[in-house]
Amino acid sequence: MKTNIIITTRWPVLLLLSGLLLLLVLASLHYASDLTLGETLSALVGKGNLYSVFLIQELRLPRILTAVFSGMALGVAGCLLQTLARNRLATPNIIGLDNGATAFAVASVVAVPVSLATPALALVGAATAAALAFGLSGGPGTQGYRFIVMGVGVGAVFGALTNFMLARADMDSANVAYPWTVGSLNARSEEVIVWLGLALLFCLPLALYLARSLNVMRLSDAVATGLGVHIRRTRWLTLTVTVVLTGFAVALAGPVGMIALAAPEIARRLIASGHVPVPEAALTGSCLMLLADGIGQHAFSPIEIPVGLVTALVGGPYLLWILLRQPGGKTL
Amino acid sequence: MDTLATTGRKNALDTSLGKKPALLSAENLMLGYGGKTIVDQLSLEIPAGQITAIIGPNGCGKSTLLAGLARLMKPKAGRVLLNGRCIHQQQGRSVARQLALLPQQMLAPDGLTVAELVRFGRQPHQGMLQRWSDTDARHVEQAMELTRVSALAGQPLDEVSGGQRQRAWLAMVVAQDTPLLLLDEPTSALDLGHQLEVFEVIRQLVRQGKTIVMVVHDIIAACRYADHMIAMKNGQVLASGTPDAVVTERLMQQLYGVNCQIMRDPVSGSLLLAGVNRTGHVL
Repeated sequence: MKTNIIITTRWPVLLLLSGLLLLLVLASLHYASDLTLGETLSALVGKGNLYSVFLIQELRLPRILTAVFSGMALGVAGCLLQTLARNRLATPNIIGLDNGATAFAVASVVAVPVSLATPALALVGAATAAALAFGLSGGPGTQGYRFIVMGVGVGAVFGALTNFMLARADMDSANVAYPWTVGSLNARSEEVIVWLGLALLFCLPLALYLARSLNVMRLSDAVATGLGVHIRRTRWLTLTVTVVLTGFAVALAGPVGMIALAAPEIARRLIASGHVPVPEAALTGSCLMLLADGIGQHAFSPIEIPVGLVTALVGGPYLLWILLRQPGGKTL
Repeated sequence: MDTLATTGRKNALDTSLGKKPALLSAENLMLGYGGKTIVDQLSLEIPAGQITAIIGPNGCGKSTLLAGLARLMKPKAGRVLLNGRCIHQQQGRSVARQLALLPQQMLAPDGLTVAELVRFGRQPHQGMLQRWSDTDARHVEQAMELTRVSALAGQPLDEVSGGQRQRAWLAMVVAQDTPLLLLDEPTSALDLGHQLEVFEVIRQLVRQGKTIVMVVHDIIAACRYADHMIAMKNGQVLASGTPDAVVTERLMQQLYGVNCQIMRDPVSGSLLLAGVNRTGHVL
């Protein structure tokens, strides 16, 4: 029985890991077909000719890391927030975190010349949106739907602000700011990749730890307290992790919010109901992001479609299909 | 403070307490929501190794009292002592290894099976790294046997009957393997047969040496199964002691505003209420 449990909970992770590996190989190979897998791998560690090393280390690697990291961050953030609110609608993008981060990032590009780096501002934006949504609804309390409604309102305000700033900005700054508003993996700042990498290093173990408490909180706050869960601490930590991951992910890849909705949904289908699928959502998020980026680069070649549009165009209908195929999902 | 009433209550307690030390007690406990006080200056001791039933009319504060004892609510004044130490100063997980709670508000996530639910009861005994042990498996198995839900292990919680679901929740609390269990109306919304099943499980737990505190609406069931009774009204304890000492015609009048006659069940020997009618109304 014991081994059974381990097998049934572990195989989706293995499956997702191999899927991610496959996507990684495909993504690192697709840029230029003149490099073999061997050349790619040796270029990755700095061996081989200058051209291949540049191609891999300067062009492919950052883009792939951007996809993997941001997908992972958004998948985990969505999973945590949905579980906390016991509501599928409670994803960071729906409650306005993405819009808050975007508005601050765009503001730093087009409107307010501040010395603070754009990613830091995106984080501040996500935190501001979260603070407003939760502050106005009286904290992330038991009425899960209240902060969702507040968040939708906060998100609308920030969305309008972004549009307003873009309309007022001159053409050049608006062009610079454009990737922030749709979500794109093209030519992202390497500095931010490191930031998000560090954030994940901190937040992933914390998310795995929180998943245990959140899992029990699904049974109601009273049951969770009875089982020794520190409700308030768990809530605030979860919210902090969500804000940090969303803020940096948006700072890196822009508002690719669909990932936060779709990744946990797919992850939940993969595992038994007795767990919060944090590792699964993380891996699914990465896979989806790589997949969406691949489609964006190839489907309409030579024109490249930003990844945010792909996730909305392909991910939206796919998510609808999943939900329609297996109805009856009410409570998380 | 009504010193007389307190000492009187203490004496009544002492007789039913016997020699065993109290695991759980409250000192001048004051509980409420916002500006409203629901439980006021309440002191009590829960006798170890017995079934204690908290009775009283709707809104008397009995569920609030249980929530306070189970540290779901922070007291406005006074304190709850678990094993002689203030419950709010103890680690959540360490409290959860001494005291289990079956609340009234429970949510079952979609598709969660009975066995998965019962396994949650082992959470306080697991560390971050050391996850599932043979001890955990044994306790889950025993809890499911005791509550007779073993046959339902693989079934989703939302597909079993109300009585089975309640027993599954009870199994989760039993799997927690605590010396003390607090149950908030464990038999509400169950029919007579299913009520008896739950009470029989509770009785078996006490035979294993556990201490039970339960909020019960059905006063006859309380008389039949409880060793110790606490009668509450308006956030105060009106009487406590054995059912024989507590359940009197006068107390029923005070608690529920009803006239009745107390009789003894010819079969079980426990107390019964007969001819219950509202004060001022002729039957």
